[in-house]
Amino acid sequence: MRIIDLAWKDLSQILRDRKVAALLVLMPIGFTIFFSMLFGGGGGEADPRLPIGWVDHDVGSAQPPLLQLLESSDAVRPVVLDDQEAQTAAEQVRDGKLAAVVTVPAGFARSLWVERPVTLQVIVDENSAAGQTARNAIDVAVARLIGAVESARLSAEAFEAQAGFADDAARQAYQEEALGLAVDAWQDPPFTLAVEQATAAAGKGQEGFDGNAQASPGLLVQFAIWSLIMSGSTVVVERTSGAMQRLLTTPIQRWQIVAGHALGIFLLTFAQELLLLAFGQFALGVDYLRQPLAVLLVALGLALWVVSLGMLIGALAKTDNHVTVYSLLAMFLFTGLGGAWFPLEGTGAAFQAIGRLTPTYWAMRGFQNVIVRGLGLNSVLLPVGILVAYAVPFFALAVWRFRFE
Amino acid sequence: MNLRRSVDVALKDLMRYTRSLFVLGMMFAAPLMIAGLIYFAFSGLGGGDGGFQLPVTRLQVVNLDQPSAQYGGFSAGQVLVEFLQTEQLADLLETTVAEDEASARAAVEGQEADVAVIIPAALSASAFTAGGGARITLYQDPTLTIGPAIVKALIANFLDGFSGSQITAGVTAEMLAERGLQADSNTTQAMAAQYADWAQQMGQERASGPQPWLEVQAPPRSAAPTNQLADLAGKIMAGQLIFFSFYTAAASAQSIITEEEQKTLARLFTTPTPRTAILAGKFIATFVMVLGQAVVLAVASALLFRIRWGQPTTVALVTLGLVAVSTGFGLFLMSFAKTSQQAGLMMGAVLTVLGMAGGLFSAGMDVMPRAFETVALLTPHGWVMRGWKLSLGGAGPGQVLLPVAVVLVMGIVFFALGALSFRRRLA
Repeated sequence: MRIIDLAWKDLSQILRDRKVAALLVLMPIGFTIFFSMLFGGGGGEADPRLPIGWVDHDVGSAQPPLLQLLESSDAVRPVVLDDQEAQTAAEQVRDGKLAAVVTVPAGFARSLWVERPVTLQVIVDENSAAGQTARNAIDVAVARLIGAVESARLSAEAFEAQAGFADDAARQAYQEEALGLAVDAWQDPPFTLAVEQATAAAGKGQEGFDGNAQASPGLLVQFAIWSLIMSGSTVVVERTSGAMQRLLTTPIQRWQIVAGHALGIFLLTFAQELLLLAFGQFALGVDYLRQPLAVLLVALGLALWVVSLGMLIGALAKTDNHVTVYSLLAMFLFTGLGGAWFPLEGTGAAFQAIGRLTPTYWAMRGFQNVIVRGLGLNSVLLPVGILVAYAVPFFALAVWRFRFE
Repeated sequence: MNLRRSVDVALKDLMRYTRSLFVLGMMFAAPLMIAGLIYFAFSGLGGGDGGFQLPVTRLQVVNLDQPSAQYGGFSAGQVLVEFLQTEQLADLLETTVAEDEASARAAVEGQEADVAVIIPAALSASAFTAGGGARITLYQDPTLTIGPAIVKALIANFLDGFSGSQITAGVTAEMLAERGLQADSNTTQAMAAQYADWAQQMGQERASGPQPWLEVQAPPRSAAPTNQLADLAGKIMAGQLIFFSFYTAAASAQSIITEEEQKTLARLFTTPTPRTAILAGKFIATFVMVLGQAVVLAVASALLFRIRWGQPTTVALVTLGLVAVSTGFGLFLMSFAKTSQQAGLMMGAVLTVLGMAGGLFSAGMDVMPRAFETVALLTPHGWVMRGWKLSLGGAGPGQVLLPVAVVLVMGIVFFALGALSFRRRLA
């Protein structure tokens, strides 16, 4: 009962300040939305493909074949720039507003039929991932255009072998028409690649990785640690204000004080997790409810580890400022290393190896086994076990270092 | 005389800060550690060339293709398998040939493989059949993006050769038919073969050198580009530098509240030191702290992560803007806190919110949605970040005048509001 009283005291101490309560709720939700849009490439732009500028100095057809091929790309979307915009195109690439700019020089279309065509000018920052993606997409489109030209040329040779052309103009007209057909055919090439996601979720999707499936659990993990700024400080305030010494004059046991604070942090963390899970489910469409028990187990395991971390911070910190700093550092370190901010897939081998040693990695893995891989309860047992296993030494360390005076 | 007193107050604060290992750790070690963490994340330990280390993708390939004697035993599937196993791709792919489709899919589902490629039975036959086509299946772990994208690009490029052959045959058949002629199967097959030879030759040319049809230029920047990783590190470090400068400034301004709580401020008021002199002293201490932090971090990160911050005058201007706005904002923010507990909470919350909104933690992302850019420019952090990005891109002093002017004005306004509030409170 004393433990519950103490936990209740901590909770009321934190939540009686409406601003704090609002921060605990609004900040994680706000950031989840922010990152969800960031990972999803949203921000109000319906087409998630990378924008590339298109500047055409060639007097050709209304729908140049290369533009047509670029428009069918699933990586880039060409944005036709007018003369004024074209003047600042390079700066737009530098500032990250465009991933690249393709400038078609005068005479390009005509030069496709000679051995060495006029070169296209491409401005791209190949030091950036977006620049590399755009460059690859442009390469593919150009290669297909040159391929279409070759198809038209071979076709003209076949026609010539059977009937012959009246003159060069007839040949050129034939080739132009064949080029148009070939470019049209490239919109739906006969040999394709079908991408299937290995997910046990209902309706195996063809869709790519959903940004919300990274942002929602990632921010949940981050803010579970972040909220220790508030919950961890209750321990420090109690000690620095002398309230803990006064508490020790009552019949309460020392272990009960530790347990009371731990319970307070746990309840706060778990409640925040439930709130973010509900927000992820109902506002972002992350399917946590497909395996509610498994998700709850992961949330529980994460909360236990966060409690042990919070107690350790409370034990080590001397002032409120220390609590803030330790919590922020722990947040940056564990969320960065554990793949809560960005998937570990893109990081180096050593970073991945270290990342897999963090409890946050296992929390992310547990959540993503359910919401991305579509797996069931069994798939979270190992992550939850590891989270609990981490909580034990953290908690032991906290109890060992806990100062009552 | 008042200036002397202000300097005394500043010196006392500075001495207190520099004696604290905790403060020094937060000022210098924490931002370098976080930037280092991300630098380490994307460099790998062996990335000595300053480039990204792409992850090795564990690939299982199943070749169900049935070569036919009718086409000389040619197996497109086998060609693809050999392509995926070439030495050139060994840094990117760890290719294993699976016995059957089920085991390959099971390997991906069990997270023993990242991607499975399933080559259909009719791939070779489709390549020789008029109007034929085929679909290769790429089965991937849904949590991965980079590895599957690499495999997808490689296979799509491979398949384009087959598609081009079929398109050539199809276009010819259609064009001839329109003109009352007929393309027999021998003609279309011969054309498809010619196209395949041409495509193979082009593929080899593309693999051995730059695209002959493209003239690629980097966007304009005054500074010589360093490398991909240093570019990324520069943006990330700039984000951390800004975040922790604001933190240091706020923590330094918090000393007014701490001194108020510890009653040392009340004692100071009993001396003939005017309140404005005390506030000015606090301002000087904060300004010097943040300036020192910015200089040390810029130099240390240039040495550690090979970051080129830009032209010296530009860097000086942006640094001045950062120091001015963070100092002013620190005082402004702390003027809302009544206790040091509230101050700590405000720092954690407000600085994290503004840092995120200002783009400090997404600095490494290349193309941001426009809405985020707009939001970022509503915060002082976003304007300072803009200045640093320009400086990192090699901009001259004239190009950063706007962001620097904006943050200077913001700094003055924040400082005036904060000072006014504290003056009233301390009156």
